[in-house]
Amino acid sequence: MSKEIEVLKQAVIDGDADAVIDSAKKALDAGINPIEILENGISRGAQVVGDQFEKLEIFLTELMLSGEAMMAGLNVVLPHLKTEDVPQKGKVVVGTVRGDVHEIGKNILKSLLVANGFEVSDLGVDVPTSKFVEAAEKIHADIIALSALMTSTLGGQKDVIDYLEQTGNRNKYIIMVGGGPTNQGWADEIGADGFAETAPEAARLAIELIEKRRN
Amino acid sequence: MIPIIEITNRALNGKPILEKDYDMRVFSPRVRELVKEYGIHYDPAALVPSDDGLADSIFKAAIDLICDVGVYCKDTERIIAFEEKEVRNELKTSFNHAMLGEGMEQRTLLPRKPESKERPWIFSGAGGVTVSNENIFLRLVESYARKIPIANAITTPCLLSVDGINIRAKSPLEIEGSIRTVVLGREALRRAGRPGLPIMNAIGTAESAIALASGLHPDFGLRKTDGYMIAELAELKTDFDLLNRAALLQSLNVPIAGIYGPIYGGFAGGAEGTAITSTAFHIQGILTYGASWTLCFPIHIKYTSSSSLELIWVASAYSQAVSRNTNVPALYYNYTAAGPCTEMVLQEFAAEFIAAVSSGASIETGGVAKGKYFDYLTPIEPMFASEVAYASAGLKRTDANEIVKKIIPKFEDRIPDPPKGKRFQECCDLKTGEPSKECYDIYNKVKKEVIDLGIEFQY
Repeated sequence: MSKEIEVLKQAVIDGDADAVIDSAKKALDAGINPIEILENGISRGAQVVGDQFEKLEIFLTELMLSGEAMMAGLNVVLPHLKTEDVPQKGKVVVGTVRGDVHEIGKNILKSLLVANGFEVSDLGVDVPTSKFVEAAEKIHADIIALSALMTSTLGGQKDVIDYLEQTGNRNKYIIMVGGGPTNQGWADEIGADGFAETAPEAARLAIELIEKRRN
Repeated sequence: MIPIIEITNRALNGKPILEKDYDMRVFSPRVRELVKEYGIHYDPAALVPSDDGLADSIFKAAIDLICDVGVYCKDTERIIAFEEKEVRNELKTSFNHAMLGEGMEQRTLLPRKPESKERPWIFSGAGGVTVSNENIFLRLVESYARKIPIANAITTPCLLSVDGINIRAKSPLEIEGSIRTVVLGREALRRAGRPGLPIMNAIGTAESAIALASGLHPDFGLRKTDGYMIAELAELKTDFDLLNRAALLQSLNVPIAGIYGPIYGGFAGGAEGTAITSTAFHIQGILTYGASWTLCFPIHIKYTSSSSLELIWVASAYSQAVSRNTNVPALYYNYTAAGPCTEMVLQEFAAEFIAAVSSGASIETGGVAKGKYFDYLTPIEPMFASEVAYASAGLKRTDANEIVKKIIPKFEDRIPDPPKGKRFQECCDLKTGEPSKECYDIYNKVKKEVIDLGIEFQY
């Protein structure tokens, strides 16, 4: 691996956005193939960070800073790639459902999805049902990931699935649910495609579900 | 007390900052710095530390933290700032007790100190975990009151549904569910012959300020001598919905609790940062809500429970920091990984409550099976937890440390994949709420284990 790529990878691990931008530019200036910069620099760094977080060798702040740094690097490299050359796992809309303002779990998932090469549209918290659908249509999402932390807001996950069913759009998207009171039984009951107990498991599940659908 | 209008004024006019910048570029780095500045170290060999200097350093770091970063208001996206002199004055003049309960059950919740022989306040019951129907609600609350004579207050379950329709936040279903929670709780306590017991998680089903306000009408049975909780958001945050509750409850002159769940592995970082943040949360409750008691429930970011080594240290270190340095009673609440009718759930309660009570805290019996599944409740778990907490008064911290370290290996390996246990319907009589023989056998087995380790139960 070239020195430029190694520096870039380390900058992603360090969560240093300025250093990521700088090293990504240097790598491009050195004539390194943008695909290699993306895969061996940015993505490898992000994978290291994801693994470190899962072992709690680093914590949420470091994970999110690395996520930001990775995005900054992508903004430098992506204009140098043709759309069809961009390796992408898929597109995901994430958000916490209507009535619920909890976001830490959702934010961890977002960072891990980015680290795993997904394009993520984060709608934030207290998101109305129709906004999930609107955003999914807009970015041609593969997955809608619905978070809820309270028993009294779980119904918001069902609302999104019902809305998609009733508008004939259910099969367009993979629906994943998560958050404190959710469990596999609830996911089955409301017809979700996947449930994960933790954000790292959810990120792995997203990859599995996308591959399964594409195959 | 800082007037709620003044807090609101600061929320409206404080320094503006984006929430993610507050989290990652203000709060988190300052916590990391304070851990270093005060030389705070987590030591797995001393899960119940005996070092008063450590507790006081955590407290000083927490004062610095709240003065340096303030409390973030999510609605205004501004910082509610506090001066150190003001914080110290507020701590000196804060409420130092809460009168709770009525008639024969009237008691005063008082602050404790590490190793205090004063019995902890026993706030016992469901820990706000959800039940699927009103019959289970009634049976459980009645059983808590009957089977836990040392209970000073009851924590009721939440209702999942109203007339078969699942409750939705901020809807009329939540209003009706909140009112029913109060009515049913009072009725269950009357049936148990303890109508004066306070309900300290008043209106557990109310998630929104409007639902809280709805359930407060005296016709429904809540009293000024019940307990009223207002959440503080992770980490060091609040919003207008929560400040609205403070405005309402302060005007009603009732005992307010600031309640908070700092996240180990989150923006607070590791065990040291989580202990500082927990302590700062205690101070936040006093400053922003005028709290007369507080409740801390740290959570592991990966396991969403609180019985891992790091969090038992947090429970102890935090409890010592606030009980040695403030006069506001501090309660500790836990989330067990394991579910009802298992040995592990009782072992988790024992380890956490021995650590917390010997360190100066009182307790609320926590959410079992992470509070995740509805109906995963029996009277046995809070009964055992209350008895352990009661028996831990007067324990030396060094003794508590040795006992806790012997209990943890019994369950530690199973935290990532804990036994879910059984639902109320599977292990309790639906007509009487009486737990099964299996539940009692497990209770007796684990109780003997704990007795053999040196805990002297009162009965």
